[in-house]
Amino acid sequence: MNKINKEKFTALSFFLSPMLLMVVLFYLIPLIMTVYISFTQMRNWNVERYLKDFVGLYNYERLFYMFQHDPTFKAVLLTTIVFVGITLIINVFGGLALALATFFISEKPASSFRLLWLLPRMSPIAVYSLVWYYFFHGSEIGTLNSILMKLGVISQPIPWGQTVPWGAWSIIIFVNGLVGVSFGMIVFTSALNQIPRELVIAARVDGASAWEISRKILIPLTKWHFLYVLTWQFLSLLTTYPHIFLLVQWDLVNRDYGTTLALYVFNTAFGRGEQDQGLAAAAAVILSIIGVIGGFVTLKVLQFEKMMKRPRGDF
Amino acid sequence: MKDVETRPSRYEWVIILAILFASLPLILGFSLLVLSSFSKEMVTNLDLKSFHFTLENWINVFQGKLATTGGIRTNILKVTFHTLVVALGVSGVVTFISALAGYSLSRIDFKGRKHMMILLLILHAFPGVALIVGVYLLYRLTFPQSPDLIRLYSFFYVILARAALEIPMSVWLMKGFFDTIPWEFEWSGIIDGASRIKVWWEIMLPLIKPGILAVALFAFLAGWQDIIYVRTFLIDQTLATFIEANIEAEYTHMPLVAAAGTLYLLPTIIFFLTAQQILLQGYSGGIKG
Repeated sequence: MNKINKEKFTALSFFLSPMLLMVVLFYLIPLIMTVYISFTQMRNWNVERYLKDFVGLYNYERLFYMFQHDPTFKAVLLTTIVFVGITLIINVFGGLALALATFFISEKPASSFRLLWLLPRMSPIAVYSLVWYYFFHGSEIGTLNSILMKLGVISQPIPWGQTVPWGAWSIIIFVNGLVGVSFGMIVFTSALNQIPRELVIAARVDGASAWEISRKILIPLTKWHFLYVLTWQFLSLLTTYPHIFLLVQWDLVNRDYGTTLALYVFNTAFGRGEQDQGLAAAAAVILSIIGVIGGFVTLKVLQFEKMMKRPRGDF
Repeated sequence: MKDVETRPSRYEWVIILAILFASLPLILGFSLLVLSSFSKEMVTNLDLKSFHFTLENWINVFQGKLATTGGIRTNILKVTFHTLVVALGVSGVVTFISALAGYSLSRIDFKGRKHMMILLLILHAFPGVALIVGVYLLYRLTFPQSPDLIRLYSFFYVILARAALEIPMSVWLMKGFFDTIPWEFEWSGIIDGASRIKVWWEIMLPLIKPGILAVALFAFLAGWQDIIYVRTFLIDQTLATFIEANIEAEYTHMPLVAAAGTLYLLPTIIFFLTAQQILLQGYSGGIKG
C-alpha cells in the first residue's frame, strides 16, 4: 500500500510540478507583489528607492479621490462601462448570429466564413491594429473617410477617433467586437453541431422556416453556451487591453475616451512620461477583486463542477 | 449536423450575401494592407490611381532600409528571428507543460484534482495581463547585472511569462484530448508493470499527436502575435514593437510599414490555409468542459 502511494506521489509530482511552478511564479507571486506595490509609493520603477516606502492606503485614497474629482479618470471609468457593456452585447449576439447563419448554409462557404472571422483573433495584434489604423485614419487616406467622401456623405475627412466620446468609443468597440465575435461563433457552432439533427429535419418536414427553427429549437438548446459566452467575455473584456493598446498609443483614438480601466493600469505603470506603479497596482487590485468574484459567480452559474467526472479505472 | 437533405437551398445565397456584407470591413481592411505593401503609395483610400505596382517595399524591408532618406536601418531578419524565438519558446514550454499536466488531470484520481481544475478555470477566465505590474517586479528583482546576460534573460523571462498566460487553457485542451483515448490502451501497459510515466511517454503521447500539434500551434500563434509582454520585458525588438515604433514614419514610407505588417501576418495566413481543421476543432475542443 505504501509503495503504491509513493509511486503515485512520484508520478503526480512529475506530471504536475512544472504547471504548479508556473502558476506560483506567474500568478501567485505577481498577485502578492501587486497587492504589495499598491501599499508603496513605487514610481518610475525606482525599486531601490521605493520598494520599502510604505504609504498604507494612500494609493487607494487617491483612486477614490480621482473617482470623485478627476475628469480624466471619470472618462476612463465611463469608457470601461460603455465599452464592456456594448462590446459584450455585440460579441454574444454577433457570435450567435454568425453561428446560426453558417449553420443554415452548405459546409464549404460556412467553414470559409468561420475561418475568415477567426482572422482578428489569430492575426498579430500589431498587424490587426495597423489594419484599423488605416481604416479609421483621420485624414483622407483613411478608408472610412474616403468611402464616405466618395459617396458624398461628408466633404471633409473626419478624425473619427478624436470625436469624443462616441467616435472613440465606436472604434474601440468595433475593433474589440470583431475579436470577441469569433469566440461566440465557435462556441455556438460547436453547440449547434451537438444538437441531434433529427430535431431540425423533423421541423423542416413540418414546414418550419430557418427563423422558426432557430427561435424554437436551436436557441433554447444552447442556453448553457449562451451563459458561458456571456460570463467569459465579460471577464475577458474587463481585464484585457492588448487590442486597444496600440490604437491609443498611435493616437488613433482619444486618450481618455479610448482607455479602459485595464489599459489605464498598464499605461500608468509602463506608459510614456511619469509612471506611477503604486496607483496602477491599487487599480489592478480592484480589477482583480472584481475578476475573481466574477470568476466564482461564473463557475456557480455554469455548474462546471457537475461536468467534471472522476477518471475511471484508477487505483 | 446539417440538415442538408431537407434544407431549401433557394435562400442560401441570401444568407451568404448577408454574411459577406458583414465581413466586408474585415476583408477590405486586410486586403488593402497587403495590396499597399506592393504599391508605391498607400491604397487605403480605395483610389485605384494610387496603386503603382512595385516590389521596392519588400526589397527595402529585407535590406533593412526603413526610411530611405532618414537613414534608419533595422535588420528585419534579425527582428523576425527574435519574434520567432519568442513564438517557438512559448509553443515549446506550453506544449511540454500541458502534455504533462493534462495527462494527470485526465487519468489520475488524486486529492485536490477537482480544486486544481477549478483553479485553472478561474485563472483562464481571469487573464493574467492584469497582474503584469507584479510580473514586472519579479523580473526586476531577479534579473542579472551584466548587460549581455540581461538580453538573454529577457528572452527567457518573456517566454515563460507569456507561456504562463496560455497554460490554463492549454492544460484543459490537452486534458480533453487525453479524455478521448480509451482507458484500455494504457491499462495493458500498466498490467505489464510499466510506471505511469512510462505509459505516458510510450503509449499515450504517440496516440494524441494531433492534440499536441493543435496545442503547439495555438501557443505558437499566441507567442507570435503578442505585443504587450514583448514590449514590456524584451530588450530586443520584435516585429510587433518594430511596427509600433515605425507607425509615425513619413507618409511616403507607409507602404514599407505595410510590407513589414504583411510579413508579420504571413505565418498566420500559412496556418490558416494548411491547418484549418485544427484551428476550428481546437477551439471547440477546449470548451467542452
